[in-house]
Amino acid sequence: MSQKFDTVVVGAGPGGYVCAIRAAQLGQKVAIIEREYYGGVCLNVGCIPSKAMISAAKFLDQVQNQSEAMGFTIGSVKLDMGQLKSWKDSVSKKMANGVEQLLKGNKVTMIMGKAHFESDQILKVKTSSGEESIEAKNFVVATGSRPLSIPGFDFDEKNILSSTGALDLEKVPKKILVVGGGYIGLEIGSYLAKLGTEVEILEAGDTLLSGICEPDVVQVIERKLKKKAIKLHYKAFAKGYVKSGKNITVTADVKGSSQEFTADKVIVTVGRKPNSDEMNLSAAGVEVNPLGFVKVDKQMRTSKSNIFAIGDIAGQPMLAHKASHEGVLVAEVLSGQNRVFDAKTVPAVIFTDPEVASVGLTEKQCVEAGYENISVGKFPFGANGKAVSLQQTEGFVKILADSESHVVLGVHIVGPQASNLISEAALAVEMGARLEDLALTIHPHPTLGETMMEAAEAALGHAVHIIQKPLSHKKKLQPQPAEL
Amino acid sequence: MSQIELNLPDIGEGVTEGEMVKWLVSEGDQVEADQPVAEIMTDKATVEVPVARPGKITSFKVNVGDMIPVGGTMLLMEAGSASAQKTKEEPAKATKPEATTQKQAAPSTQTQSKEISPPVAEVTVLATPATRRLAREMNVDINQITGTGLAGRVSREDVMNYQKSSESGSAAPARTLSIPSMNYQTFNGDLEERVPLRGIRKKIAANMQMAKQVIPHFTLMDEANVTELVKTRKQAKEAGAAYGVKVTYLPYIMKALIATVREYPMFNASIDDEAGEIVNKNYFNIGFAADTPTGLMVPVVHNADQKNILQLSQEITTLAGKARDGKLALNEMKGATITITNIGSIGGSYATPIINHPEVAILGMYKIVTKPVWNGSEFVPTPMMNFTVTADHRLIDGAVAANFLKAFFKKIENPSELFLHMV
Repeated sequence: MSQKFDTVVVGAGPGGYVCAIRAAQLGQKVAIIEREYYGGVCLNVGCIPSKAMISAAKFLDQVQNQSEAMGFTIGSVKLDMGQLKSWKDSVSKKMANGVEQLLKGNKVTMIMGKAHFESDQILKVKTSSGEESIEAKNFVVATGSRPLSIPGFDFDEKNILSSTGALDLEKVPKKILVVGGGYIGLEIGSYLAKLGTEVEILEAGDTLLSGICEPDVVQVIERKLKKKAIKLHYKAFAKGYVKSGKNITVTADVKGSSQEFTADKVIVTVGRKPNSDEMNLSAAGVEVNPLGFVKVDKQMRTSKSNIFAIGDIAGQPMLAHKASHEGVLVAEVLSGQNRVFDAKTVPAVIFTDPEVASVGLTEKQCVEAGYENISVGKFPFGANGKAVSLQQTEGFVKILADSESHVVLGVHIVGPQASNLISEAALAVEMGARLEDLALTIHPHPTLGETMMEAAEAALGHAVHIIQKPLSHKKKLQPQPAEL
Repeated sequence: MSQIELNLPDIGEGVTEGEMVKWLVSEGDQVEADQPVAEIMTDKATVEVPVARPGKITSFKVNVGDMIPVGGTMLLMEAGSASAQKTKEEPAKATKPEATTQKQAAPSTQTQSKEISPPVAEVTVLATPATRRLAREMNVDINQITGTGLAGRVSREDVMNYQKSSESGSAAPARTLSIPSMNYQTFNGDLEERVPLRGIRKKIAANMQMAKQVIPHFTLMDEANVTELVKTRKQAKEAGAAYGVKVTYLPYIMKALIATVREYPMFNASIDDEAGEIVNKNYFNIGFAADTPTGLMVPVVHNADQKNILQLSQEITTLAGKARDGKLALNEMKGATITITNIGSIGGSYATPIINHPEVAILGMYKIVTKPVWNGSEFVPTPMMNFTVTADHRLIDGAVAANFLKAFFKKIENPSELFLHMV
């Protein structure tokens, strides 16, 4: 049996399903092929379930640690982990069902099965009822990525957990060891710490969040982790483990000397790798770069003109919202519209405690981009009324702008609701806004959002609600020393 | 085996359609990857269109003479290589399926990568996402726009204005001239044949009309004593043969022209009417008119001042060959700062050439004729060569052109002087 479509999307994650829906809206005959679950990693074992767990842990943390100051006496709080798990699953399920409904409502043909290319024109799909042959004018590969493992730590999701297992625990572990201090490791480590787990983190580098964040942002996170009694080990390389009884003993090389760590579970969060080794992409002539990402141009077109790739498989940053943006773009390109990926920035959000969010350039990237004089405005949440009343005063908003034009180059937030605050900054960067645009926009009081306005004012040298030294907002960047 | 379409690829440079000139294969032919299958003539050049992958040509979808839009289907073919068919016949080779796959995969990259047009906005471009999209939809390269907003922000109006100005500016200058389209009334239709004015001929027609309309031309004519030049070139021709290079007169004329243009830089200039400015160019790209079966082409020797006689001869031969075969790349026809037309190789003692706008001068060279020249006491048989210089009177006065020609003659009559200017 062979079916023909205008566009066939492989993978129903946040890239694929969005692409399929938009293509269908534009009048194409579309099929989407999914092997596991609609909504992909994001809705089922990634962003959404982790946010459910983090929100539960935060709730517990506030009850236990912040209610007393407000006058509450709440004895001991009991957690039914089974109930938490099924609530989390219900959140994911609700969202995934929504995706299915949307696909159906847009008349996208949904095929559950595993696809591989037979040629650049034909896709074979193994379904529960056999193998189907599918032809299409265009294919969109949106098959995503999977957790990366390290030698000696193959995922069994019992002892050695990936992020998937770490979000699906039956009970709260006594002690866990997190290998990898990137954003996934920190999000999971923090939520478990709040639920009562003793957490130790091994990071191979000498800083958390693999250097993608501003150092002062990382500092705030590090301080909070330590306050929550999470132990951090830098320059630490896990070498192997032995299981004896309930305990797992991990041997690691920490700053050159061998050390042992015991835990009931080990969570390995060292990154994710694109699923480009699946689906027989080479049979279609789709080229892959040495890092495993499918090579694409600014229209997300692969080395074959009828095959596109979007999302994690098409390159960094591996973020759901980037995938969705690309999905829409490709659907429109396939419908004959002239579109390219020309977004200035892909916002990044990290659901640590406090949250981290950023858009645009870091200070280091400003140097690399050749800016010599920048204005830096930093406004602490400690000086914001709403934050104080929330008892969440850690962190700050930091804005970087070109000193001459005042054009906003980057915004970095660490603090309460950073993830919800960053969209204003993303709009500012996309619009080419200047500091004055942010400073002169009336921000409602009392809100966390006022910090954005104040940070812009600070970058102009005159924030009202903090004391600024004259010219302290001007920063002369040192050009990078030439590589030796 | 699946049927695949071969579509007319985006040739770039704003080309939107092409004329099907010639099939290079027949229906039913087996073709290899990258094999050219058709010749397409656009208003810029004639290009060969290859297939991306091996297969068998099933049917042609256009006829010779048809205009095909970019993306239009040219032919249908059955995918599958000759080698794949062989695999069936010779099972011994079936053990290497990987090799076939790779063979099919490799050529794809060359033809598939569609050029993104207009180019993607640089990160430094200050424009809202909506404005960036508007520019793309209006086919405007936003990187080229100087924004009028604060800090150089490109506004919606900037994009609209840019498109208006580029429509009236260099992109299609003929339109602002409002040239009347005259129709042709016939009394003898039966004895006439009508063919569409298109492709290169259409482009030539538009360019010539525009140049003659925009530029007030005038031509100065004189004859030069080329006794020394003939000798020099004869020696060089023999010497060049050792390098396998045919040395013609043209490179000498180019060298003498460049040396003279250095003394009279306005001959190497352009007028930017819209900006109200004269553009002086500190580089020397010499165009030379070439007669080809499809019409006049003007290949360009870029940076001719930095090349010696041997290099120039070689490049001229290559470019002329490409022009004849309709294989000139677009950049090989662009960017000339002054042009030479060599009508003398065919005949005629003098002509009044048309300047290749936006250049401001064109040098004509004519046949060398041995004439009796009075040397004061007797008539001596002397090789003489006519030259014309046609100039844009807006920029170049008659006296200046006369002096220019005099300075040029000084060099062409004493080729040894050219050594003074040798790189």
